[in-house]
Amino acid sequence: MERKKKSLGFFFSRGYLLLVLLFIYLPIAYVVVFSFNSSKSLTNFTGFSLQWYENMFKDRTMLESIRTTVVVAVIATAVSTVIGTVTAIGLSKARPLIRAMVLETNNLPVLNPDIVTAIGMMLLFIVPGVQLSMTTLVIAHITFCTPYVILTIMPKLRQLDDNVAEAAMDLGASPFKALTKVILPQIYPAILSGALIAFSMSFDDFVISFFTAGVGINNISMYVYSMKRYNPSVNALSTLIVVVVTLILVLVNVIPHFRDKKIKREDPET
Amino acid sequence: MTKQNQKPNKNLLIAVVAVLAVLILLALFVWPGFLKGAPKRELNVYNWGEYIDKNVLTAFEQANDVKINYSLFSSNEEMYTKLMSGASYDVIIPSDYMIERLIKEGKLQKLDKKVVTNLDNLTDGVLNMAYDPDNSYSVPYLWQTVGIVYDTTKISEKEMEAQGFEAFRNPAYKGHVYMYDSERDGFMVALKALGYSANTSNRDELNAAYEWLREMDKAVAPSYVTDEVIDAMANGEKWMALVYSGDAAYILSQNPNMSYCTPYQGTNVAVDAMVIPANAANPELANQFIKFILDDENSLLISQEVGYASANKNVLAELSGPEGDYEGNVAYVPRAGYEKDEYYVDIPEDLRGLYSEMWIKVKLHE
Repeated sequence: MERKKKSLGFFFSRGYLLLVLLFIYLPIAYVVVFSFNSSKSLTNFTGFSLQWYENMFKDRTMLESIRTTVVVAVIATAVSTVIGTVTAIGLSKARPLIRAMVLETNNLPVLNPDIVTAIGMMLLFIVPGVQLSMTTLVIAHITFCTPYVILTIMPKLRQLDDNVAEAAMDLGASPFKALTKVILPQIYPAILSGALIAFSMSFDDFVISFFTAGVGINNISMYVYSMKRYNPSVNALSTLIVVVVTLILVLVNVIPHFRDKKIKREDPET
Repeated sequence: MTKQNQKPNKNLLIAVVAVLAVLILLALFVWPGFLKGAPKRELNVYNWGEYIDKNVLTAFEQANDVKINYSLFSSNEEMYTKLMSGASYDVIIPSDYMIERLIKEGKLQKLDKKVVTNLDNLTDGVLNMAYDPDNSYSVPYLWQTVGIVYDTTKISEKEMEAQGFEAFRNPAYKGHVYMYDSERDGFMVALKALGYSANTSNRDELNAAYEWLREMDKAVAPSYVTDEVIDAMANGEKWMALVYSGDAAYILSQNPNMSYCTPYQGTNVAVDAMVIPANAANPELANQFIKFILDDENSLLISQEVGYASANKNVLAELSGPEGDYEGNVAYVPRAGYEKDEYYVDIPEDLRGLYSEMWIKVKLHE
């Protein structure tokens, strides 16, 4: 009897898990499958072909949009991660009142609807007569990415034992050394997840990009959103992105694993 | 312990920083124009997404030694917002009613007809439209009508042509009808069926149209859809649907059972046309670009790629003629010169709310 009960719960939990996974991955699988469709149809799979991939690499606007997206995302991630990390570390040492004030200000753009940020940014640029361009687009992306970095790093900093950095300085480390050798290594995972969030926010942003990009600049979201007719090459593009992201995730997870093994082999006494 | 924990972390940190630095450098170098010689002349073109054959852009660049910055919009209003932000484009391709608004506001400059010398390529159906009576500001690009795609195995041509828009109130088709989910197009159908103008601001006429639509909702219980209708009709899932003729041409090419009817009550004609904004940085090149697009070979490429009817009469004749892509496709060439057809004029501000409110009520079967 008891055994049967257990297996019922077992099946229920597995079924539930399966359902959740289906909801997450079925749409992606659908896009991947239809990127190999031989016709333009979005509902009828008529046969295997690579024509949409071929089209994608021949399509100059699509390629330019990919390049714009990657360039903007990389620069925005790098800059906002540095700004966010420095700010978060500074705040953790600041007086409580100042910290509270800065953090509240930091939450505002996160809670604000994107469209408000977007229009605000656009007005900020055009009222003093700044021409919208690639630079304004990058500045806007850095601006909306930074709060997320700060938000991810702050909790990790709160867990830190202040005494460790002080001990390092007692033992002769300069403040800069204490920062790079003691604090940064400890909050490193939080910095990495902050950077990842910033990257994905920047990568798929549409609203803010639309209002702050200059003439002739489209990112992937703007490109897909503006299509008057659906072009199945977008499926090919999405598939490519999924593949790249999967590869990166696999590498990120597998490489430390191998490295740990290697270190263990090198000095087995510890 | 500490040694082991710190070492890999530090290395990883350095690696991450190094990778980021390399990526940024790479990005900067790959960026067009960076570290390159003298800048070329530039032409800023603003068009709907997926609305051109990109080989035409490359051909123009090579022929004139210019670089085209190609931007995309998905609605006329979006384009208008961007233009109002002070952005400078050389050629824009908005729709009829938006061109009318831009002309009224003085946002466009006149074409240089000494450069655009091939205006006689234009087909009669798009020439001298009321929004720009002598084509002094705009050169039509692609155009279409709104009509009904229907399955000839379920509804005969004679039956459909005799009913026109009234087919949307024929209870015999109940459950087999797609309605395009757009308040403007929905009301156009009703207003035209009642013999009114699609641009009316007479509230009695609008109320009559609302009643007509409610009866339609009861009589045929349509599914309200947007662009998924294209695939669905190509698969023959329902008997009839309200669609734009450009999409209808695609449906007909996929499914030989389908045909297209331009209702006798009159319908909407939608024209997208090339214009030059007043603040264009390079109007001379813009005029050359417009002439280039209107040339037979380039218009042909564009119409073939997009699938909508060309404004160029030679292209229309070639594509619908023998051996053409759209030979025997009744949806490709839009009806021209029909007195009851009209293009949309902006809905006045005070009626917009009324339109959407009534349309929602229709869809909710209230």
